Amino acid sequence: MNQMLRQPLTDSDIRRRTQIFTILDEIGEDLDLTEAQFDRARQSYGAVGDWLSGSTDPLLVSVLVYLQGSSALGTAVKPIGRREFDVDLICFCAGISSGISPATLKAAVGNRLKEHATYVRLLEEKKRCWRLNYAGDFHLDLSPTIANPLCINRGELVPDRALKEWHPTNPRAYKTLFDERAALRPTFVGKFIAMQRDEATVEPFPVREAVKSILRRIVQLLKRHRDVFYENNTQDVAPISVIITTLAMQSYAYCVRKHVFQDEMDLLVETVRMMPHFIDRSIVDGRQVYAVMNETTNGENFADNWNKDERRAPAFYAWHAQALSAFEALRDAVGQDRLSLNMERSFGSGVTGRVLGNRVNAVSDGRKSGLLSVAPLIGLTTSKVAASTTVPTNTFFGDQ
Amino acid sequence: MKGSGRNQDLTLSQQLLFLKANPAIGGGGTVRANKLTWQLPIQPTVLARSYLATVTYRPGQMPDVQIDDPDLELLADGRPLPHVYRDPLRLCLYLPGTREWGARKRIDQTVIPWTYLWLYYFEDWLWSDDWKGEGRHPGDEPEPVGNRALRRALA
Repeated sequence: MNQMLRQPLTDSDIRRRTQIFTILDEIGEDLDLTEAQFDRARQSYGAVGDWLSGSTDPLLVSVLVYLQGSSALGTAVKPIGRREFDVDLICFCAGISSGISPATLKAAVGNRLKEHATYVRLLEEKKRCWRLNYAGDFHLDLSPTIANPLCINRGELVPDRALKEWHPTNPRAYKTLFDERAALRPTFVGKFIAMQRDEATVEPFPVREAVKSILRRIVQLLKRHRDVFYENNTQDVAPISVIITTLAMQSYAYCVRKHVFQDEMDLLVETVRMMPHFIDRSIVDGRQVYAVMNETTNGENFADNWNKDERRAPAFYAWHAQALSAFEALRDAVGQDRLSLNMERSFGSGVTGRVLGNRVNAVSDGRKSGLLSVAPLIGLTTSKVAASTTVPTNTFFGDQ
Repeated sequence: MKGSGRNQDLTLSQQLLFLKANPAIGGGGTVRANKLTWQLPIQPTVLARSYLATVTYRPGQMPDVQIDDPDLELLADGRPLPHVYRDPLRLCLYLPGTREWGARKRIDQTVIPWTYLWLYYFEDWLWSDDWKGEGRHPGDEPEPVGNRALRRALA
């Protein structure tokens, strides 16, 4: 294991950066589907699966409906400016040969959905899939797939955008790979040393337990940064989520296996920094060709569009450079105001205001209930810490 | 604070002793010419800047808290600071004429924790432009009436 050469961190740096990651974790949680939303989505797609399975259409005799994409991976991010999450579903039609046209299979799925009194009202046709709009909550995008006989990894085939051909894909194996990488446990040397040396690594304002893996948070934060970065851009060149997710999981796995880290922020920044190294670049016929391959099947290049639209690769690199410097600035921010400003720029004012507002409220509530104190090394805290001094009631006064 | 309670007022030396003994509070200071001076670094939370504060206190007066570094007005970037006294710039940490502060109270258990709190809300205010620490400004209702300490604070 290598440890990258960097300035040694003080204990105070480690405490600061640990707190910063905790706030980023809270931002990720705020942007995620809530447990209740996730339950509703699960119920809805379960019901859709049952309905499709009940069809007498021979194309739909053996249907499996399952989650794919960010809601399956645990990397969903609240969209900016609308309330509905995208929940992506695969409608896997087993036993259907690839001789069938994508349009025919898609039509079969659509026809069955239209037979349902509720679904017919929620249904919207998209290029490659069917959408069920659950207003104000989420929409389910249902893509029909069939088995890919050429994939040794039990992959599937999905219609292309023109609905003319079948393209290889493998959402189930992709999720398995992502979950395996997300489960890799990083080694934090700096934090461990600081914790041995100093007992005051308590959480100053305990709000909740961190539950998500770091990789999932990294992907969420990157996607949100992308959404904010491209919010007012009408060119439709923003890097797609599966590219960000794929590069992040490859970079994360590489970093965790090869290096030890000071703390979570160190890992976060290094993971972001290394992402472009996992883009395959080659020169074909004098042209730069890009590939971000799906590792779980043959022939799915997530960056296919980069080779068709020359604005896309530069758009990725411009966003990535900005994201890297944003996460470095977050890591290095000293002063709550600077940190808040950086978070607002990176993730938007809504989520930043909610998360930081909750933290100020925790201090103000602690103050009112007499639970706020000043502790050595960490300052204000609502945790019970030895040798701390309670903050008594006061009324700030003075000129305006 | 007059009459029978007077003898329970803490002396400057007692205040100094408490400041030195409090493990949550750093810094150092002296008592000279009937004046207590205590300078200390204050980092309100691990995310905040580290500020250098000086507390001065003479018996019979209110303790003053000044921030020596960094310059609060530079940080405020032209916006008028909330909850301060001016000339010289001092923090307004409590309501004069109430029991929040009194000469029987320990500076290390009142004025200094309040300075942490002030700086905490200050950094939030720098970003949000919203002082979330509540409080009062002179002229707010209801106003304590006929109070000498209050009049002095406004003078």
